[in-house]
Amino acid sequence: MSSWVQALVPYAEFSRVGFVNILAFRLRYFTGIITYFLNVTVYYFIWSAVYRGGLSIAGYNLAQMITYVSVGWMIRSFYWNTIDQEMAYEVIEGKIAMDLIKPVSVQWMWISRAIGESAFRLGLLTLPTAVVVALVFPVQGPASRENFLLFLVAVLGSFFLMAAINFMIGTCAIPLKSILALIRAKYWLIELLSGLLIPMTFFPSGVQTALAWLPFEHIAYTPLQIYLGKLDRATALRALGIQWLWVIALLWLAHVWWERAARKITIHGG
Amino acid sequence: MLPRRCPASRSGVAHLRWFPVNARIYNWMSADSLIHVHELSKHFRTFKRREGVWGSIQNLFVRDYRTVAAVDRVGFTIERGEMVGYIGPNGAGKSTTIKMLTGILVPTSGEIRINGFVPYRQRRQYVKTIGVVFGQRTQLWWDIAVIESFKLLRRIYDVSQRDFDARMEHFDAILNIRDYLHTPVRKLSLGERMRCDLAAALLHNPPLLFLDEPTIGLDVVAKDHIRHFLRAINREFRTTVLLTTHDLDDIEELCRRIMIIDHGKVLYDGHLAQLKQQLLRTKQIKFVLKDRTQADCLDAFSRDGLEVDQVDELTYRIRFDRVKVSTSDLIRKILDAVEVRDLLIEDEPIEEIIKRIYAGEAHLEVSV
Repeated sequence: MSSWVQALVPYAEFSRVGFVNILAFRLRYFTGIITYFLNVTVYYFIWSAVYRGGLSIAGYNLAQMITYVSVGWMIRSFYWNTIDQEMAYEVIEGKIAMDLIKPVSVQWMWISRAIGESAFRLGLLTLPTAVVVALVFPVQGPASRENFLLFLVAVLGSFFLMAAINFMIGTCAIPLKSILALIRAKYWLIELLSGLLIPMTFFPSGVQTALAWLPFEHIAYTPLQIYLGKLDRATALRALGIQWLWVIALLWLAHVWWERAARKITIHGG
Repeated sequence: MLPRRCPASRSGVAHLRWFPVNARIYNWMSADSLIHVHELSKHFRTFKRREGVWGSIQNLFVRDYRTVAAVDRVGFTIERGEMVGYIGPNGAGKSTTIKMLTGILVPTSGEIRINGFVPYRQRRQYVKTIGVVFGQRTQLWWDIAVIESFKLLRRIYDVSQRDFDARMEHFDAILNIRDYLHTPVRKLSLGERMRCDLAAALLHNPPLLFLDEPTIGLDVVAKDHIRHFLRAINREFRTTVLLTTHDLDDIEELCRRIMIIDHGKVLYDGHLAQLKQQLLRTKQIKFVLKDRTQADCLDAFSRDGLEVDQVDELTYRIRFDRVKVSTSDLIRKILDAVEVRDLLIEDEPIEEIIKRIYAGEAHLEVSV
C-alpha cells in the first residue's frame, strides 16, 4: 500500500505545479470567467428565441434547455484542458526531450498537470461562474441528490476522456510536427459531438445511433442527462459504466499510441 | 567471477574463468565501466523538398526520402569517475549521441549499456541514475519560481529533505543560486538559469552526468563558475561526466580524455595531451625587433623556406615544423641575425589542431 502511495507522489507533485503554474497567468483566469459567462448568455438568448414557437423540442422544454446549456458550459470549464496544445509546443521546441529524462510516465505526467489545472479551475473558475450564472439565469437544480452524485462521477469521467483524447492528439505532433489544424478540427468535433452545443436527441436518429458507439457523447451529454434526471437509475448507471469503460479504453489506447510514437522521436539540433 | 555474457563462460568450460581473460574482452565486460557503447548508429529519414510551385505541389503527393546517418557505428567505453569531452563541428552527431545515451532517442542499431541499463528500453529506471543538462533547453518550469521546480524534482527522485537541504547548501556555496530561487525562470539571465539547471540535474546525486553544450552563450565568469563546480563534483562524488562543447577551454580545463566525432564517426578517442603530441606539427616564434632597420635581415629566413609574417610594426612571427626544424637552432639563428627586444615561443593553439581534423587534413591513429 505504501509503495503505491510512494509511486503516486511525483504525480501529485505535477498536479501541484500545474496548479501553481496556472496562477502565473492572472489575465487568462479573469478572461476565462468572462468567456464562460458570455457563452452561457449567448446560448440563453439563442434558445429563448428558438423556443418562442413551441413548448418542447426533441424532449427538452425551455427551462431544461437553459439548464442543459448553463450546466454544460460550467462542467466544460472543469473538464477542458490544453494538453494537446502544450505538447505540440513542446515537440516543436524540442522540450519533449526534457520530459523523457524524468523517471515518470509521460502520459501520467501530462494528465497529472491537467488535474492540477482542472482543480484550480474548479475552485476559482467553475464554482464562482456557476454562482453568477445561477443568479442571473433560471437554472434548475439537479434532479435529486443521487443524480447529483452520479453527475459528479460522470464529470470526473469527462475529464479523463478529454485528457486521453488530448494526449493522443498531442502525441500526433511527434510524427506530424505541426498539428494546429488537427487541434482546431478536434475542437469543433468535440464541441458538437460531445453534446455541448445541442443535446444528442437533436441529431437525426441514424446519426444518433452511430454516435452512441463513439466516446464523445459521454463527455457532456451523459453527465447532463444524469443531472437533469432524464435517465432512470438503471440507465444512468449503465451510461456511467459505459463512460468509464471508454475512459479505460482511451487511456490505454493513448498509452500504446504514445509508446509507438516515442520510438520515432527526432529532435534535431541543439 | 566473469559476467554471464562473457564468451568464455558461454562456451560452457567453467574452469576457464581462472585463466586470464583477453584484456579487450574484459574491458568491454568490466563491471567497473559505466558506459558501454558498441556499433551505435542512428539514421534519420528526411524527405527532399522540391523547389518552386510545381515542386511544392509534387511534394504533396510524392516524397523522396533520404536516409542520413547522424551517428555511424560509434563505439566507446567510459569508466567511473572519468570526465570526457565529446567534440565535433555542428551537425557531427554529438547531440544525437547524447540523446541516445540519455534514453530520449531510440538507436537504429547498435548497443548501449549504462549503469547496467539499456537506456531506451528501461528509460524510467535508468534516468534515475543520470543527470542531464542541455545548454539550450531548461528542465525547470518556465513561469514559476525556481524553488518550485526543485521541490518537484525532489519528489520525483525521492530525495529526503535532509539530503535535499544539504545539497542545496553545497550547490549554493559554489554556484550562488540562493538569491534567485524565488524568481521565475523566464526572468533569469542565461548564466543564472544555467547554474540552476546544473543544480537541478544533480539534486539526486547521480553517478553520471551528461552535459550538452553547458557553457554555450555564457560570459567568462559564468563559465568559470560552472567549470569550477564540475571539477568539484567530479572530485568529491566521483561523478562521471560526459560533455559536448564547442568551447575548447572547457575541454582543456576539465577533460583529460576527448573524443572527436564528425559525420557521425569517431575520429579520435584518447588523451588530449596525446592528441597534441601526435598532431602538434607547427610551432611559432613571435619576436619584437629593437628597431625597423633590422627587418631586412629577416629575408634570409624566408629564403630558407620558413613562413615569416609581420604581425604589427615591429612584431614578426615565424612558423615552423617542429619535426624538421629544431626550436633552439632557430632561436639561435634569429638572435644572431637581428636584435630582439622580446621573444615568445608558442604551440599551435588546440583550435587550429581541431580545425585541421575537421577539415580532414590531419590524420589520426584512432586509439579506441
